[in-house]
Amino acid sequence: MIRFWSRRLYESNITEDTDLEKRLYVIKKNIKDKVKKKFAGSLAIRMVDSGSCNACEAECNALSNSYYDLERLGVYFVASPRHADVMLLSGVMTFNMTPYVKNAYEQIPAPKWVVSLGDCPVMQAPFELTHAINAPVDKYFEVTHHIAGCPPTPLEIMEGLLEFLQKI
Amino acid sequence: MRLIARYAKELKNDFEVITIYDKIIQREKVPKDTPSMQTLAKIHPCAVWFERKIYDDFGINFSDAYDKRPLVHQERFAKNIHPMQKSFTNKSIQEVDYLPYKYEEISGDGVFQVAVGPIHAGIIEPGHFQFSQAGEEMLHLEVRHFYKHRGIEKMLEGKSLFDVKAIIERISGIESIAYQICLRDIMLQASKQELPKTLKKRHALFLELERTIHHLNNLGFIPNDAGFGAAMSFASKLSEDARRKLKEISGHRFGFGAVDFSIESIDKTSFLEWLDTLQKDIDFFEDWIMDIPSLWDRFDTTGKLTLKKAIKYDTIGVVARASGVSVDRRIDKFYLEHGFEIANEKSGDVAARFKIRLHEVKNSILMMRNFLDENSDDFTLNIFHDGEFFSFCESSIGELLVTIELKDGVIERFFVRDPSFINWQALHLMMRSDIIADFPLINKSCDLSYAGSDL
Ligand code: SF4
Repeated sequence: MIRFWSRRLYESNITEDTDLEKRLYVIKKNIKDKVKKKFAGSLAIRMVDSGSCNACEAECNALSNSYYDLERLGVYFVASPRHADVMLLSGVMTFNMTPYVKNAYEQIPAPKWVVSLGDCPVMQAPFELTHAINAPVDKYFEVTHHIAGCPPTPLEIMEGLLEFLQKI
Repeated sequence: MRLIARYAKELKNDFEVITIYDKIIQREKVPKDTPSMQTLAKIHPCAVWFERKIYDDFGINFSDAYDKRPLVHQERFAKNIHPMQKSFTNKSIQEVDYLPYKYEEISGDGVFQVAVGPIHAGIIEPGHFQFSQAGEEMLHLEVRHFYKHRGIEKMLEGKSLFDVKAIIERISGIESIAYQICLRDIMLQASKQELPKTLKKRHALFLELERTIHHLNNLGFIPNDAGFGAAMSFASKLSEDARRKLKEISGHRFGFGAVDFSIESIDKTSFLEWLDTLQKDIDFFEDWIMDIPSLWDRFDTTGKLTLKKAIKYDTIGVVARASGVSVDRRIDKFYLEHGFEIANEKSGDVAARFKIRLHEVKNSILMMRNFLDENSDDFTLNIFHDGEFFSFCESSIGELLVTIELKDGVIERFFVRDPSFINWQALHLMMRSDIIADFPLINKSCDLSYAGSDL
């Protein structure tokens, strides 16, 4: 453990990609401001996977690594829809998941918003319609904002969240 | 013999059930008017899911099976529909009345059931776990999945090999390169060609990088599930760096579209530089993490899968290697020449699976060094011949199988057996002496794919 902290002290902060860091800085600042104004400093997101390939989830998980550190800006991924403001929806809305996704949405207290994530929920990913797929998701929910990409990068997800925050 | 997969296809007058073992392939014909046959589950327990899926897909009945519950078709799925039959062409189906699924449950004085899922607390894929609990102790767990079932097998029928690439690389996003390599090998078999060594090395490098990313993620997540968040901060930074590297050399953060036949060289100096830093970081990480007794107190003896059970359930990949089974599709001349060394642990617990991942990251770094190549060969594919093709690849989870039958130039039958499909069926064996609070840790130590097994 001591080795860990001594290394931390010696190396302090390292910036590897300055362009990216600059862009990130601006986005982070804007997200933080907007979350503060519109959600009293804390925006709770319930991520729901309705049949993705797992890459969209992996990118959402990456949002909490030390480069992006979304939680610092007041944006939290919460464990229950009952704690959430926003449902972040990925995947192609499979036949088997549809009832559970609808249920999760119902459990979110109003006011609530749906943000769709990745090309899957709008049927823009390479998947084609089968009997087991119910997408596009706007058949079921009013989607306030869509974050495109297959998968959208962590940076694009942050930009998308900012656009959403500016929209409402 | 190790059972690899069992699946069916439709012929003109019959169904054919194909059973793939590590040494042989067996074929049995089943008449369409009385589709019934014998189960394999009494010898190979992992045949259960295959057979339940075959029933859902084709309506073939396993007369002496002890478990005949639907697998892919859930509560609201019409019971008389078998979508993999050629006569089924609907693009949407109606929900029918809810018919409850009968979970495997242990009952008794004070024993209660805990249902978890399909939507979980964290950012993870959906699936259901049903526990029978005596206080904190897990008496039994049933894993129930297929919530993410997208009908991929059906989706690909009637398409040419070139049209399906974009879909196949998105079956399981975190194993994308492995899926692409399987498709590549099928293309090569169909065109009766050999791949130039430089391309093979390039693709193998992608595969090891994908494995590195996946393992690095888990090296952070596993300690995090035991309450040690610092490891996650450290490892998730490394995995983000690795993902950026994958983007740099393949054009995509998950390597979608990476495995093709074009030749682009990789910037060798910057890649080697990154490998050096990663090597340093991972050595530091190992040194640091091995030295935290409270963490190993949680890892050791937790979620134990014995060698006997690992073999009986035909497990593969990281899970099998942690229990002392030496299975790895990379045991061949090509990989051995480039520094491959199989990871092996005996204890079969979370600690063993963690150490396997650590070993494999270090081994992948070594192999990536050897796969870097400057020369390049020209390569174009010939036309594809019809036939039935099988290909294997060791993904970051374990052995992946893809089979494609080409008829008149288009796909007649497409079948995938993700390593997770087998290993999920062994998960309940790891819970015998642990409490429910250990479940997330045990589950994460295996880190199986839902998307790949649900298809
Ligand atoms: S949008 Fe693309 S990356 Fe995201 S889940 Fe769908 S296929 Fe995967």
